[in-house]
Amino acid sequence: MSVASGLLPTRPRTGFGRLGRAAGSPLVRLIVKRVLLAIPILLGVSVLTFWVLSLIPGDPARAMLGMNATDAQVEALRHEYHLDESGPQRYLDWLTGALHGDLGTSMVSSQTMSSMLADRWAVTFELVALAFIVSLAAAVPVALLAARWPGGVFDRISMLCSVTGLAVANYVLALLLVLVFAVEVNVLPAIGYVGLGQGLGPNLKSMVLPTLAMAIPLFCFYTRFLRGDLVDQMQSEDYVDTARAKGIGPWRVLWMHAFRNSSFGMITIVGLNIGTLVGGTVIIEQIFALPGLGQLLLQGINTRDTVVVQDLVIIFAAIAVFANLLVDVLYAVLDPRIRYGSH
Amino acid sequence: MRRIANVNRKARLLGPLAALLAVAMAVAACGSSASSNDGKGDAGAQVGPAQSGGSLTVLEDASFAGGYASGLDPATNTTGGANLPQMQSIFGGLFLLRADDDGSNAKIVPNQAESYAFSDGGKTLTIKLRPGIKFSDGTPFDAQTVVWNMLRDTSSPCSCAPTWQLTKKDPIVAKGDLTVVIHMTQPNGALISNLPISNVNWIASKTAFQKLGAAKFKVAPVGAGPFTVVSDQLSSELVLKKNPNYFKKGLPYLDKLTFKSIGGDQPAYQALEAGQADAYEGMSTSPLITQAMKNSKFTVTLGPATSPYVIQLNTMKAPFNNIKARQAIYYATDFDAISKGLFKGSDLPVSESFTAPGGLFYHEKVPGYLHYDLDKAKALVKELGGLNVQLGTTAIYTANQVITALQTQWEKAGIKVTTKPMQLPQVIQAFTGGNWQALLQTAGAWDPAAGVGVAFRFASTSPFTGVKDPKLDNYFLQAAATTDSAQRDKLYQQAAKYIAQKAYAPFGIAFTPANIVAKGVHGPGLTTPIPALAVNTQTIWDEVWREQ
Amino acid sequence: MAVIDASSAQLETALAATTRPRGRWRVWVRTWVPAGMVVFILAICFLGPVVLPIAKPTGGDVLESGLSPFSSGHLLGTDSNGNDILSRLLYGGRASLEVGITVNLIGLVIGGGIGAISAYVGGIVDTLIMRGLDVLIAFPSLVLTLAVAQSLGPSKRNTIFALAFFSIPAVARIARSSTLRLREMPFMQAAQLCGSPWWRILLRHITPNIGPQLISFAALGMGIVIVTEGALSFLGLGIPPPAPSWGNMIFDGQQSMSATPMEVVWPSVALLITVLSFNQLGESLRARWSGR
Repeated sequence: MSVASGLLPTRPRTGFGRLGRAAGSPLVRLIVKRVLLAIPILLGVSVLTFWVLSLIPGDPARAMLGMNATDAQVEALRHEYHLDESGPQRYLDWLTGALHGDLGTSMVSSQTMSSMLADRWAVTFELVALAFIVSLAAAVPVALLAARWPGGVFDRISMLCSVTGLAVANYVLALLLVLVFAVEVNVLPAIGYVGLGQGLGPNLKSMVLPTLAMAIPLFCFYTRFLRGDLVDQMQSEDYVDTARAKGIGPWRVLWMHAFRNSSFGMITIVGLNIGTLVGGTVIIEQIFALPGLGQLLLQGINTRDTVVVQDLVIIFAAIAVFANLLVDVLYAVLDPRIRYGSH
Repeated sequence: MRRIANVNRKARLLGPLAALLAVAMAVAACGSSASSNDGKGDAGAQVGPAQSGGSLTVLEDASFAGGYASGLDPATNTTGGANLPQMQSIFGGLFLLRADDDGSNAKIVPNQAESYAFSDGGKTLTIKLRPGIKFSDGTPFDAQTVVWNMLRDTSSPCSCAPTWQLTKKDPIVAKGDLTVVIHMTQPNGALISNLPISNVNWIASKTAFQKLGAAKFKVAPVGAGPFTVVSDQLSSELVLKKNPNYFKKGLPYLDKLTFKSIGGDQPAYQALEAGQADAYEGMSTSPLITQAMKNSKFTVTLGPATSPYVIQLNTMKAPFNNIKARQAIYYATDFDAISKGLFKGSDLPVSESFTAPGGLFYHEKVPGYLHYDLDKAKALVKELGGLNVQLGTTAIYTANQVITALQTQWEKAGIKVTTKPMQLPQVIQAFTGGNWQALLQTAGAWDPAAGVGVAFRFASTSPFTGVKDPKLDNYFLQAAATTDSAQRDKLYQQAAKYIAQKAYAPFGIAFTPANIVAKGVHGPGLTTPIPALAVNTQTIWDEVWREQ
Repeated sequence: MAVIDASSAQLETALAATTRPRGRWRVWVRTWVPAGMVVFILAICFLGPVVLPIAKPTGGDVLESGLSPFSSGHLLGTDSNGNDILSRLLYGGRASLEVGITVNLIGLVIGGGIGAISAYVGGIVDTLIMRGLDVLIAFPSLVLTLAVAQSLGPSKRNTIFALAFFSIPAVARIARSSTLRLREMPFMQAAQLCGSPWWRILLRHITPNIGPQLISFAALGMGIVIVTEGALSFLGLGIPPPAPSWGNMIFDGQQSMSATPMEVVWPSVALLITVLSFNQLGESLRARWSGR
């Protein structure tokens, strides 16, 4: 029972002041360590994906060719896509290909995965990025206001709203937004994606409702988290008392001290949420007719396109893993004690 | 005191919030309610001469017409029968199904073909092509290209390949530049009727295929249809522009045509209300169809009914290998009530066989058909010592509602029912595995031999049958082997009577999906009804136009 | 990824953090009003249909479809299949609460157990378990749901299984970080020095201390689980129709929301009230426990 092995870094209480030292070698070591840690996780996810997909009954080749195809034709297709090989062998083949940048070819459309991804990644990326920006930009001021007067009217309303937001299904929310802002007040487009090539204005306009549909539940979650953390700090942390004793105003304490510390937790939550968020694009892209990766994944599922499904699932998982990696590194940059920490 | 204040505060906050939610959702119900629409579409003659120009955005259900993950190459598009809008716009088609403006008098008309003739007792089909047609890449639309296409289609491992019984030697040959001859080992009476929803109908440019290669051709194919591809994202969005080399003078009317895939009827309805799209083909959610009929912004067109629901019973397996169990289902089923309750005001016809009023060879009554009779159903179930049934369907809103209603009706007769809505791959799997009992499906088409026709559900050679009966097979073979309408009518009547007599599968309402179209847009098949060959009506896209 | 574990603790405190109520009355009200609400909701869903004269939730007469509220015998009217909406709401609540509570209990017991043991044992076991959880968190739930739906078919049990599977990692992380903090406490070290076996320490010392936090976290998770159950219908899982649940009522209703909005409104409002009550109860309970 070594005490040191499980010791956690306690809540960081430092500001951004020590950022300058971040370039030192401990940080590089930490990054290398985190990257090395991400590799087994990615491998684990890809193995799990292969295994789970193999549990789905029915032969994808037969499903694709239909009833008219002869057994020989089905066998040929199975061979072409290596479905006749053993699971581990297929996994190794896929892994070798993926490491060489070859993600395979869709069984159904014969398009290479890379060309399909190239067509679609920007939509999903923009959707996810905007949803994060909007939800954070809204959550921070609301949480600060709520935490300034805990138990006050604003606090109560914001908490009620955020719990409500979490209790409303996102597909209902999406339909409601369209109903209000596209049907009743006809100011925003109900469906479709306008590429950046047609100008930033039209592009952003086409993304407003999908972004809101994704961002509102996130906003609720962030507000709830941040407000809780801020109130906790304001009430229990010694340094807040110290700051108060020094005669620093309440807003300043809230912003300069409590929020700075809470932002560490926020970064982590943001990282943890990316996986869920990317998954959420499946439903939102379907309702708003956005040609993104989520739509592609659902199509892949419906057409039993094993190649598309396994690649996209692994890509979604990889995004989540790398987001967390980024968070870890960012965290270390902001908080030197982790860099020099015991592990 | 404090306690009360606190409770009140909570109630104050909760009340308005719930109310807000309710109001926001109730807005959906209002919309603009104004002039009622008879739902039969507008007759082309009344709306004045067609105008050229303009662009149109059409929504298609991502899980049906809007889903074309396998691309738009006729030889490999597994969902070609569903993707009529995209295929017809790009390729046109050798033959089309057309009808009068009121949906009557439907018939197959030559389009890129000029005529066809059967000879050799129906075993040889000669198709003459219209002269002077060019593909949009400028290459000639000739017999050699058509033969190349047909050979490619028939030898494709695609589930979309036609099931023609071709001769081994010289199955399809070109005679001169404009004549194609197809040699078969058996006569095929429904071959031409089946063409408009078959991939063979769509002829692709051989030159363009060879230039682009198979993978690229799936995304941006080249045909001789009214429109050419500007951009295409499979199953998401297809942007088309007018084909300047189109062989019909003055057509197409539209300059630009965009098909967008959308995930479901409700988002599609909202997008139409918001003016984001001009039309949605194949709306099947019945409350939304009713809602659209009340909305003065839209023209709602229901196709003539052709495909009734059928409750397929697996006669190869217990409990439905016993005719008494099947009869119990007949007696327990009341489609009239379902028509009145689930499809309020639509007045859907209830069929007793595999055709409906909008199709060929329809007869309202089938002799010996067992009608709803709860007491007889109860008696039979009692005699059988109880009956347990698993009733499945392909999970679509309307079908789900119908099986729920059926479950209730059957349980009243003492039948124990579990329902199971399934995705399409699961349905296919149920059929291949043979482990199903009862499935709600649709059967029949405009021509019972075409599309998802009667043989599809009843012939022992079909993988989707619940019946293996040589006598029934014989009726179908005979009907398919003749091109004489009177003879076919007689044979199909006999088959219907035989199915009723053996209680193989009860039939039901013939429900047709609706086209919801913005006012000011017109076109045959879109705002005038044309019978559906499979599920959705085929729109004649080159004649679609909008008021400027 | 110790950072994540650190902030999981932060997450859990923050999610449940509330203003420390001052005064006995306030504490009393804040605890008992939501508790009363929860009891009321449970009672009306589980006992209501037994006691009250209410139609069955399924098997309605299709000819009585789409009746408006306050029709005779149908307080909230009927749905498009002729089933009584009030009855579906109560029976649906039963199913939803069953799923919500079971999933959270499984999450608490298994996830909490894994997290606590992982933290308590430490070393290589801890590392392995935590990396395994990382994999599960990164793995999109959609795919597992799909596999379950297609290979096992939709049923209440399979739905619970799929949902619980994804609630385990989050709970495990929170349990782990709470336990890690506990390990350094003097009373824990005292227990270890006394030679108490590990399972005894786990049950007697760790569980009572991390329990409140986990329970308050689960209270918030209730709503999310109930909503997600409905969304599973999208992929062919979830409570199989025609049996109602709030989730599948909302999902079915939204398919024709423009025409039948009330079919979405009723279950949504019921769900909202339930979530608010559970949430408030969770907050108050935690405040009470942590105040001790």
